[in-house]
Amino acid sequence: MLTPARVCARGVAAVRACPRRLHRLRASILALVSALALGAGASATAAPGAYVADAARSRLQFTGVQAGAEFKAVFHKFTAVVDFAPEALATAHFDVTIDLNSVDSGDKDRDGTMRGPDIFDVAHFPTAHYVTRGFTKSATGYTAQGTLTLRGVSKDVNVECQFTPGPSGATLTGTAALKRLDFGVGQGDWKNTEWIGDLVKIDFSLALSPRH
Amino acid sequence: MTNATTVTRYGAVAQTLHWIVAALIVTQFVLAWTADDLPLGMHKLILLARHKSVGMTVLMLAVLRLGWRLGHPPPPLPAGMAPLEQRLAHATHAAFYVLLFAMPLTGWLMSSAKNYSVSWFGLFTWPNLIGRDETAFAWLRGTHTTLSWALLAIAVLHMLAALKHHFWNKDSVLKRMLPFTTTE
Repeated sequence: MLTPARVCARGVAAVRACPRRLHRLRASILALVSALALGAGASATAAPGAYVADAARSRLQFTGVQAGAEFKAVFHKFTAVVDFAPEALATAHFDVTIDLNSVDSGDKDRDGTMRGPDIFDVAHFPTAHYVTRGFTKSATGYTAQGTLTLRGVSKDVNVECQFTPGPSGATLTGTAALKRLDFGVGQGDWKNTEWIGDLVKIDFSLALSPRH
Repeated sequence: MTNATTVTRYGAVAQTLHWIVAALIVTQFVLAWTADDLPLGMHKLILLARHKSVGMTVLMLAVLRLGWRLGHPPPPLPAGMAPLEQRLAHATHAAFYVLLFAMPLTGWLMSSAKNYSVSWFGLFTWPNLIGRDETAFAWLRGTHTTLSWALLAIAVLHMLAALKHHFWNKDSVLKRMLPFTTTE
């Protein structure tokens, strides 16, 4: 029987016996440590339908209405962990965390205002979080039922999405709509919906890579 | 008042356009100067949105005015005006027409460069003329401001000249642009 002590003894003996083995042992320890550091074995195969979005190749944006004119803003930083296989909707799952500080509407004054205490209040609520509960098939793709937590308020938000498998991953596109005041996004003067529309449209296109 | 420009008076259309645009330009200065003193916020946003809607109205009316003027030449200047006075009067009016276009256009370009699309009283949105560009925005803002001072200066000159014609020269230059009056 190989007790830990005997393994250790054998290891020590082996190390003493041959420097080349020492080298190999070091290499395997290094590989093990790196694998642990990555959180998963580099050589392990990806679970089918398990993806993570590559933010650099993805787009997550919203469209608001300000003084009668639409404006678009993107979030540069977000993480999206996606489990999705059309044949296994029961186990499908999205978990998306958005860094609200990364908002970019094409104007730094507007971005600064949005980060401020009356809008996103990033000092107290740096992220928004969306997590799904279930999926149903829809006419154009799939409907995700989930909960969005934004500015400390959690509400149900459905996402209409389309899933397109590709050679080395998949593309997930979709849309959603929400009322910003449901989440308290807009305090004080910014509660005004005549000048800042209540309805905010969201759309995204995520480049998904297999998650190991 | 008749619809067509008669020999001695501006017609009803020219008068109406003149006074509407004059009122809108006064509104523009009030809105812009009030907004300038405000911090970023809802109140400023509302004033600037109105400033943009009014500005685009001025632009549309400027197109209308220029078109109308090409088909309806203004009454001639009174005989007896010195050639220098006549040249000054023509130059002032030409500058007004340039500014009637340049002010709204630089404003529209400013909004475009800042990535704020211009809505017309919430009814429709004008397309952005250029892409997001902070450097262009800073330059356009400076130009828009400089032109506004030029507009103010020639407006003062225009009003003083009209009053001088009316009270000093005692001619019909002011009255021919006033509704509900007659000119000999």
